[in-house]
Amino acid sequence: MENQNQDTYRFQVNLSGMINILSNHLYSSPKVFLRELLQNGIDAITARQAYSPAGYEGKIHVEVSGTSTGATLLVEDNGIGLDEAEIHEFLAMIGQSSKRGEDFLSTNTSFIGRFGIGLLSCFMVSDDIVMVTQSAKGGPALEWRGKPDGTYTIRKLEGAHAPGTKVFLRCKEGSEAYFEESNLQEGLFHYGALLPYPIQLVSDRNTRLINPLTPPWVKDPQLARKHRDEVLSFGKQVLGETFRDFIPLHTASGRTGGIAFILPHAVNLNAKRNHRVYLKHMLVSEAASNILPDWAFFVKCLIWTDELQPTASREHFYENAQLEQVREELGNSIRQELMRMAEYDPDRLQSIISLHALSMKALAVEDSSFYSIIHEWLPFESTYGRKTLGELKQQPPLYFTATLDEYRQITHVASAQSMLVVNGGYIYDAELLARLPLIDPDVQTERLLPEEVSLSFTDITPQERLDYYESVRLADSVLQKFRCQVQLRRFKPEEIPVLYTLSEESAQWRVMEATKEVSTDALASVLGSLGASLKETAYATLYFNLNNPIIEKVFHQGNQATLPSIVEMLYCNALMMGHYPMNRQEIALLNQGIIQFIDWGLTANQATGGDE
Amino acid sequence: MNLTEMDFDDLMEEAYDLPGGKAKLELLEQAVRVADAAGDIDQGYEARSEIVELGSFHGYPMKALVAFSWQLGQYDKNPGRFDDYSLMWSYKWVLDRITAFADISRTQIENLLEDMKTRYAAEGYSSRTYHYYRANILEDFGELEASEAEWAIVQTMDRDEMSDCEACEQHGLVEFLAKQGDDEATVKAAEPILKGRMTCGEVPHVTITKVLFPLLRLGRQKEADKLQKKGYKLVKGNRDFLYHQAEHIGYLTLTDPVKALEVFEEYIASSLDHENPADQMIFNAYSAKMFRRLAEESIRFQVKLPVDHPCERQFEDVAALAKYFKQLALATAEKLDKRNGNGYYTELLEKL
Repeated sequence: MENQNQDTYRFQVNLSGMINILSNHLYSSPKVFLRELLQNGIDAITARQAYSPAGYEGKIHVEVSGTSTGATLLVEDNGIGLDEAEIHEFLAMIGQSSKRGEDFLSTNTSFIGRFGIGLLSCFMVSDDIVMVTQSAKGGPALEWRGKPDGTYTIRKLEGAHAPGTKVFLRCKEGSEAYFEESNLQEGLFHYGALLPYPIQLVSDRNTRLINPLTPPWVKDPQLARKHRDEVLSFGKQVLGETFRDFIPLHTASGRTGGIAFILPHAVNLNAKRNHRVYLKHMLVSEAASNILPDWAFFVKCLIWTDELQPTASREHFYENAQLEQVREELGNSIRQELMRMAEYDPDRLQSIISLHALSMKALAVEDSSFYSIIHEWLPFESTYGRKTLGELKQQPPLYFTATLDEYRQITHVASAQSMLVVNGGYIYDAELLARLPLIDPDVQTERLLPEEVSLSFTDITPQERLDYYESVRLADSVLQKFRCQVQLRRFKPEEIPVLYTLSEESAQWRVMEATKEVSTDALASVLGSLGASLKETAYATLYFNLNNPIIEKVFHQGNQATLPSIVEMLYCNALMMGHYPMNRQEIALLNQGIIQFIDWGLTANQATGGDE
Repeated sequence: MNLTEMDFDDLMEEAYDLPGGKAKLELLEQAVRVADAAGDIDQGYEARSEIVELGSFHGYPMKALVAFSWQLGQYDKNPGRFDDYSLMWSYKWVLDRITAFADISRTQIENLLEDMKTRYAAEGYSSRTYHYYRANILEDFGELEASEAEWAIVQTMDRDEMSDCEACEQHGLVEFLAKQGDDEATVKAAEPILKGRMTCGEVPHVTITKVLFPLLRLGRQKEADKLQKKGYKLVKGNRDFLYHQAEHIGYLTLTDPVKALEVFEEYIASSLDHENPADQMIFNAYSAKMFRRLAEESIRFQVKLPVDHPCERQFEDVAALAKYFKQLALATAEKLDKRNGNGYYTELLEKL
C-alpha cells in the first residue's frame, strides 16, 4: 500500500460470472443498465429527502461526450451519497450472494444492496466504471473504480464536494449504440417518463429536459377526463399508438392508478397483452400481462403503482394476493366505466363494442350484471344479418342454434322463410343467448335444432299425400339402411330440391362409422360399442321440396323405376354438400349411381338419335 | 367469413387463435371435413391431433377417442409418415378417460391397455406407464386392492420419457389415497403439491379438492376453506374440470350451501353437454346432495336453470331437484357398476 489514500481490494466474487448471470439470465437486454442507474439515483434522492427534507430538490443530470468507443456517460444525482462503510457493504453483499445467484436479487430489497446490483449491471456496457460519491452525512468524498477482472480501488478525494453520486461509464466495444445521444434520450424517457424529479440530458450540442412535470392525472387518474387531449398525446408518445378513447383506472387505496387506452383496432382473443407498468414512478415492465383480468384484452394500459412486488429482473410482478386484488380493482374501473357509458354515453359504448365485441362478450359471460346493462349493444350474426341483441329481442321468441354446424344446416332455408335464427356457434354466443331470459324476463329464447326448421315448412295437402303415398314409401325404404327418413314438404327457396338435417347423435354416429373403417381392430370394436347406443337415437331426415319442379316430376307416379336411383343420388349429394363423412356403402352407391345415369343418358341419346 | 367458405389453412389458423371450447372444436371438425373431402391424410391427421388434445382437456373425451382412433389407424397404414412420440403420448389421454363410458366393456379396455403396452415396448419405452395407467383404470373400476398392487410395481420402476410428470404422478397417489379413505395419508401426500414444490398445467388444480374433505374431517376447516378459495379460482371456467367443480359444490354444501348453489348455477349448462358421463354423474350427485341440504332451509330458493332444462318449471322446488339429480347420477352409476361387475359407484354415491 504505497499511497495511504488508496487501497486495493479484491472482489470476493467471480465478477464475470455475475455479469453473465445478469445479462444472460436476468435482464432482457443490456439497455436496462440505464434504468438501474436511474433507479439508483431515485433511491438516493428519496433517502436524502427522508434524511434532510428542508429546501431540498432532487434532480438527475445525464451527460454524454465523445463518440463510438471513445464515448463516456455520466449519470449524476444529488441524493444521499455513500460513505466508505456503505461501499464495502454492498460489495460484500454481492460477494455473499454470488453463490446464490438470482435468489439474492429477488430477496434483497435494501437500498445499499440494490445499489450494488444496479452498479454491477453497468458492466454489461462498460469495462471501466468510476463512481464519485459524497455522503450527505459527512466524511470525505470517495472515488471507486471497478474493473471487470474483479479488482477495484477506493480513493479518498481532497476538497469539498456537494452530496450526491456521479457514475462515469466508458463505452465498451460493441456497446456503442447504448451511448448514442438519441438512444439515451429515448431510453431515459422510456424508463423515466413519470419520474417526479427532473432528468436533464446534456450533450456537446444540446441540453434538454427528458420528463415533463408530473401531470396532475397521475396523482388522481379521475382528472384525466378533464385533460383528454393531453392524455391521448401522452399515450401516443409512450405507447407509440394513436388512441381515440381511454378509461381512467384507480384502486381504493390510491396506491395504483393508470390509464386504459382503448385499442383502435380489433384484437385476437389470444393476443399477448402488453401493459406498461411503472413501479414507484419507474418503468418496470412493458409486457405485463397479468395485471388486468383476462377479459380486458381490448385495452392497452399505462399503470403506476407502489404496492406490487416485482420479480428479480424487475420486469414482471409476483402472482400474489396483492396482485390479485389490484387486478380485480382495475378490472372494476373498466367495468364501471362501461356501465356508466351505457347509461350516459351510448354512442361511445357503441363505438367500443363495434371493435371489441368479443372482449365485451367475454366479460358478459363472467358477470351477469354487466351483461344486463350492455346486452342491447352486443352484436350477433343472424338470418337477418348482423344485428344487436337490442334489435333482435324485439322479435320474440328468439331462436338460436347452439353450434355453427347447426346454423350452417338451416341458414339458407330459414332465411328463405324470413325466419329469424341467431347463430350461437361463435364463442360465447350460445351461452349468452341461453342466459338472456335471466337478465330480461320479457324475452324468450329457444334453442333451435336443425330438424325443427321444418316446422315452418308447409305440409302437403291430404290429396297430395294420397297422390304421392307410394312414391314416398318407396323413397323411404331406399334410405332406411342409412337411418335416414324421407319427408315430402313445400318450402322456400324452390331452387333447393332437398334439405338434409341430422341430429347431433346422428352426426356423431356417422363420424364413428366412418372412423371404424380406418381404425385398428381394438379401437374399431370400442367405437362399435359406443356407436351402438348412439345409433338407437340417431336419425336423419331428407326433406324433398315439392315446390321444386324437378322434385315434383320425380315423385310423380310413373317414375317408380328411376325413383330409387334419383333418391340415392340426391342423398349422396346432400352428404357431400354438407361435408359429412361417407361410409363405404354410400360411396359405392354414388359410384353406381353415376354409371347408371350415364347409361340412361346414352340410352336416351340413342333413342332420339342425339336430338332433343 | 362464412365457415363453409374457409379452406383448411384458414380454419386451422382461426382455431389456433381460440381458447379451448366448443367454437374451437367446431372449426377443427370443419377442418377435418375439408381435409377428408379432399382426401388429404396429412391435413386430416393434423386437425385430428388438435381435436385429441382439445377433447382430452376441455371436456370432449368421446370426440378425442374417435379422432385418435382414426389417427392410430392411419399411423399403422402409413408407416413412418407420422410422428411416433406425440401419438404414443396421446394414447395415455385416451386411456385416462375411457373408463367413463359404460358402453365400453372391460375386455375392450384391457385390449387397449395391452395394445398400448405392445406399442410402447416396440418404441423402446418401459412398461411403467402401462402399469401406471392400469393402476388408474383398476381404480376407476373400483378395484382398489388390485390397483394398489399395480402402484407397487410402478414404484419399483424407473421413470422414462413416457411417464407423466412428477406432479401428475404425485396427484395420482393423492387421489388413490383419498379413494382408500385414508385422510391423514391423503393430506400428507398432497403436501409437496400444496406447498408449490410440484406443479404442472393441472396440478394443484385437481389436487386441492381431494384434500378438502379429509382436512374438514380432521378438524382443519380453516385450512380447507382457504384452499377451497384458491382451488376454485384454478378450475373456474374450464369445462374439463367439471368433476372438480362438482367437488367444490360438495365441499361448499357442508360449509356454505348458498355459495354452493352459485357454483352449481355457473356450471349446470356446461354439465349438460359434457361428454364425460362419469364426470356428469359426480356433478349430478353433488348437486343432488346440495339440493337436499337447501331443502332443509326455511328460505325459498330460486334456482337459475338454463333454457330448456327439463326441470325449468321446478326452479323453486329444491326437494324435487334433489330427487331429479340423484336419479340421473344413479342411472349412470348403475351402468358403470354393471360394466365393472360390482356395486362401487352406487355405494360411492350413497356415501358422498
